[in-house]
Amino acid sequence: MRKIYIFFLLLPFSIWSACDKSNDPSRVVIAGGSITEIVYFLEYEDKLVGIDVTSNFPEETSEIPSIGYVRALSTEGILSLKPSLILGEEDMGPPLVINQLKLTGMDLKIINEDRSAQGILEKIECVSKILGITTQERLNKIKNLTRDINLLQSIAKKNEDKDIRIMLILNMQGTSPIVAGQNTSGDGFIKMVGGKNVASNFEGWKPISSESIIAYDPHFIIITERGMSSFSDIESLSNTTALKFTNAAQLGKIYSEDGMAMLGFGVRTIKTALNFAEIFSK
Amino acid sequence: MSFFSLEQKWFKFVKSSQIKLLTFFLIALISIFFLSVTLGSFDFNLRDLLSRKSDSLDSIVLFEIRIPRVLLAAFVGASLGISGASLQGLFRNPLADPGLIGVSAGAALGASFVIVVGSSFFPEFIFGTFILPFSAIIGASFVISLLYIFTQGFGYQGITYMLLVGIAVNAFASVGIGILTYISTDSELRGLTFWTMGSFGGSSWQLIMPALIIISLTVLWLIPSSRKLDLLQLGEPEAYRLGVDVRRLKFKVIISSAVIVGLSVSLSGMIGFVGLVVPHLVRLLGGVNHNYLLPGSALLGASLMMGADLLSRILIQPAELPVGLITSAIGAPFFLWLIFRIRKS
Repeated sequence: MRKIYIFFLLLPFSIWSACDKSNDPSRVVIAGGSITEIVYFLEYEDKLVGIDVTSNFPEETSEIPSIGYVRALSTEGILSLKPSLILGEEDMGPPLVINQLKLTGMDLKIINEDRSAQGILEKIECVSKILGITTQERLNKIKNLTRDINLLQSIAKKNEDKDIRIMLILNMQGTSPIVAGQNTSGDGFIKMVGGKNVASNFEGWKPISSESIIAYDPHFIIITERGMSSFSDIESLSNTTALKFTNAAQLGKIYSEDGMAMLGFGVRTIKTALNFAEIFSK
Repeated sequence: MSFFSLEQKWFKFVKSSQIKLLTFFLIALISIFFLSVTLGSFDFNLRDLLSRKSDSLDSIVLFEIRIPRVLLAAFVGASLGISGASLQGLFRNPLADPGLIGVSAGAALGASFVIVVGSSFFPEFIFGTFILPFSAIIGASFVISLLYIFTQGFGYQGITYMLLVGIAVNAFASVGIGILTYISTDSELRGLTFWTMGSFGGSSWQLIMPALIIISLTVLWLIPSSRKLDLLQLGEPEAYRLGVDVRRLKFKVIISSAVIVGLSVSLSGMIGFVGLVVPHLVRLLGGVNHNYLLPGSALLGASLMMGADLLSRILIQPAELPVGLITSAIGAPFFLWLIFRIRKS
């Protein structure tokens, strides 16, 4: 019974961000890197008039005016670009600015986030519908992508049986690494490749002590490239006290990867996940 | 009748050169107001708008987004300026600023609580926009009551005692904020970080109207204490012997600063240096008597804040800089210069 209540409670939220076709998708502003990636993937980038700073892939995005950070947007700044449609990720904000944008009667669409391969496909479908791209056209474009997803899911399934323990590091805060706990994009990524997130006892990104890391004893460690930038190479990272005694560091199983390609949950995440799933399956 | 007699007193203790300066501040205030209203990332022709030739989006941007924002900046600037000036007078310490009595920290704690814990309780609550300022005000009021209790009604224990209580309260609030920071998720943490840098974005009439009214009333209530603040500079016992009810004065200055600073922080986040630097600037330009200093600090604070907000809106448009960054970037070097100047003389 309670489940039904929750379903009805959540219903308006899922329908709200519905992927209805926009009346005029000719001038689009985007707040959220994954959506920008998808718009480029769908080859609709000539309609973009403004994007946020998390939209940094592909490189051509640097030529489009920046509306600032996705959680600290400015109403006037966005309106000055005279958009006909605003697309945003769920963490778009601050809430007061969202309210003001709604007040102006702007066509504002906030797209659902589900951190899984299926979620990425749904996001692409949603953006396509809004932009008025036909189903046939979309299916053509995602042909390779669905093949990759199928492959990824079959490898991930096999990985799940092997109990592969993975730790994902955002960056190093002093000497403690900031690790992906439950309900983070990092956790979603680890699940996608069929691994087990060692940090299952807390939520969010948290700095973790060296002792807990030894207790976690991950088989594999992934760190974002930005987190890597304070080290000359993987070697020097694996020699830090925090990681030195882990299985992963001793067997040289530490990998670094572009943060957005891995955790952005745009189109690139599939390819990255597939790569890692293959590495872990060996 | 009593208002009239106040008026007479006010003129008696303000020099004519100071009245000229105050008039100048007022003119500056009005000019910056018009400049701030006309400039921004969203372009429109003001003449077309006023003759109703342009479309509705232009008028929404002007009347619903930009004007409330500029007004809020002006009132917050005035609040920080005048509370800085009166607290520096009360504590007889040029380094006092509105943050010192811990009210901003209390407001920040209230706001952080909503940003971190609140988002999971009421994600799309109807009064969502009011919750953050409301919680900040509760935080600020909590600090005021703590101060009141610990100093036994802002009593006679002396100013130093109150400063120390303020420091303790500040520390207490930052522990709270620290705990909230620790349990926050990534997105809440970002929200928290941006909030502490201050912004006037997102102001709407419903949100700012109550604050504007309360701030105006409080300022009008505070300004007549100017002469008493002058006498207090001689020392607490001396002022007492000259007929100043020191306890009442403390009560008035602290309560009014707490109210206006609490409201300002709750609506715009933490904006540094204005409360500290503006009174010094006003003193440098015209003199130290509070009849001139209090209104002067309010006027100049308002102008500077509108100017800083204008910069924050147009420097990297269409994006926006947090206004607290700008005030600190301008305030910090000025403050250094001030210290240097004091050492020289």
